Amino acid sequence: MFFHIVLERNMQLHPRFFGRNLRENIVSKLMKDVEGTCSGRHGFVVAITGIENIGKGLIRDGTGFVTFPVKYQCVVFRPFKGEILEAVVTMVNKMGFFAEAGPVQIFVSNHLIPDDMEFQTGDMPNYTTSDGSVKIQKDSEVRLKIIGTRVDATEIFCIGTIKDDFLGVINDPANA
Amino acid sequence: MSLVTDSPVHSSSSDDFAAFLDTELDSKSSASSASDDEAPNQHHSDSAASSSPDQDKEAEEDDDSDFQSKRVKRSKVETLEIVEDDGGAASLASLKHNSEVSISKEICTHPGSFGTMCIVCGQLLDGESGVTFGYIHKGLRLGNDEIVRLRNTDMKNLLRHKKLYLILDLDHTLLNSTQLMHMTLDEEYLNGQTASLQDVSKGSLFMLSSMQMMTKLRPFVRTFLKEASQMFEMYIYTMGDRAYALEMAKLLDPGREYFNAKVISRDDGTQRHQKGLDVVLGQESAVLILDDTENAWMKHKDNLILMERYHFFASSCHQFGFNCKSLSEQNTDESESEGALASILKVLRKIHQIFFEELEENMDGRDVRQVLKTVRKDVLKGCKIVFSRVFPTQSQANNHHLWRMAEQLGATCSTELDPSVTHVVSKDSGTEKSHWASKHNKFLVQPGWIEAANYFWQRQPEENFSVNQIKN
Ligand SMILES: [Mg+2]
Ligand SMILES: [Zn+2]
Repeated sequence: MFFHIVLERNMQLHPRFFGRNLRENIVSKLMKDVEGTCSGRHGFVVAITGIENIGKGLIRDGTGFVTFPVKYQCVVFRPFKGEILEAVVTMVNKMGFFAEAGPVQIFVSNHLIPDDMEFQTGDMPNYTTSDGSVKIQKDSEVRLKIIGTRVDATEIFCIGTIKDDFLGVINDPANA
Repeated sequence: MSLVTDSPVHSSSSDDFAAFLDTELDSKSSASSASDDEAPNQHHSDSAASSSPDQDKEAEEDDDSDFQSKRVKRSKVETLEIVEDDGGAASLASLKHNSEVSISKEICTHPGSFGTMCIVCGQLLDGESGVTFGYIHKGLRLGNDEIVRLRNTDMKNLLRHKKLYLILDLDHTLLNSTQLMHMTLDEEYLNGQTASLQDVSKGSLFMLSSMQMMTKLRPFVRTFLKEASQMFEMYIYTMGDRAYALEMAKLLDPGREYFNAKVISRDDGTQRHQKGLDVVLGQESAVLILDDTENAWMKHKDNLILMERYHFFASSCHQFGFNCKSLSEQNTDESESEGALASILKVLRKIHQIFFEELEENMDGRDVRQVLKTVRKDVLKGCKIVFSRVFPTQSQANNHHLWRMAEQLGATCSTELDPSVTHVVSKDSGTEKSHWASKHNKFLVQPGWIEAANYFWQRQPEENFSVNQIKN
């Protein structure tokens, strides 16, 4: 799920960044530090959309660094248990398949793939229904349900399932 | 992470966000937060009954498990509040419990994990059990029962496609690599002959400047892989590290047809200096291994087809104690059509054919190791060998590796000379037994004749190994 939220962060700046461009320097450092990172609480920071306010700097004793409290708006992405997500399949093998939704890596084990879909080996390994009407292979788009999440510093892992109503392939690249 | 170190203080707005998420999402997925409640690693789940702003500040610095435990705290609080409100706590608790049960149906055995979460129920697992399958995907682990299950289902699938498994070593088997700094003067001309990395499918000599390495693919390797892929599901298994293994896989398989997610490196093994089939998702009775290093496969010698080492570069020759000029220094190479890979491909075809055609009656009992033994026994069938001054006199002759090798190849070995003897193996034409051989018109060959037969799976022309030609 995406959220547009306000976060706050204390930015430590070296005195060489002070001067006329102080504000720009703070903002560009903020973007560099924050965008693309994850936190367990908020998920993946997709983009900073605005600065609400930059507070008064506080000199750190003995170092000369100054800390500025910065309030900023950003878009974050965080999957939740029970959430339905659309993802692109990156790898299919006998254990199941891996899929990606942005920074989120999802594994759907073959325990959680409907029983009527069977694994087929070959150049393009896939799971196919016995009548051949539905096929999951690399680059397929699937709708899945998240049943477990774990957020690391830079990655989000999820366990997903497609063994439920209305889940599974939504766009088959072979038929495109 | 800088986000944490830089920013010990967080605003109240993020607390609003968290509160919003909790109310919105816990109501929707109460079942899953209930399962969190029972997770063993939620250590401080009962430490905080209220969420003061201070605690939320702390929590923000923590990782996901704390995020989860915070949610647990809240749902616990809610539960407690309801208890106090109407005294009907049991009904709510059991409701949550039921909905969890309906998701996992029965108690989950946690057959494997991805990112330390169970691949079936999604629960965070604390122990690191099972075998890591990092070569398939980062963060993937499988328990033993799951490995057995996957092997069984895969086996059926594979047999239907008339395929077996083939594990391929890289160095000295499919290719030869050298560090640039170890290249000799005589090899400098190679710098002008390397193929472009843009389209690797045409070349066989590559400069990998990022790794400070040059790699030469063994002659015939591309045909070999193409043909073998029709009969086998192929893995690469090298003692090199993962970066090297993947780089080599790119050279060998530019179209990613053969080795996708089947490149095993020393980073994936479960035992130091050993290669094991435990990380291969195939049944041992259907696996063949090509490797030049017998000792790497202590537990799986019956699956192994030992390869003659491919030494192209001088550094490789020196490493193995040869002081002759290397192929590269002589500006030559192994034969394309009669080299090791071409010979072994014929052997693989034969084994594959026997496995799938001649053993058709007995599908379940088939074991490729048995087939390998049978095919090997055909190589020197009908030969009766006597050794002369090959072994130290005090040692037990039938313990010597050449003796055993000859027997595995189907020859009979003897210490006595009699008319049924066909070959005398010796390094020296002056011995009594050598004289006997010349006198009775028997083959007199060097020990290399047996080794060559072992590598090429074919009885070699005796005249190429005659003892007289060699001056000792
Ligand atoms: Mg090797
Ligand atoms: Zn489980």
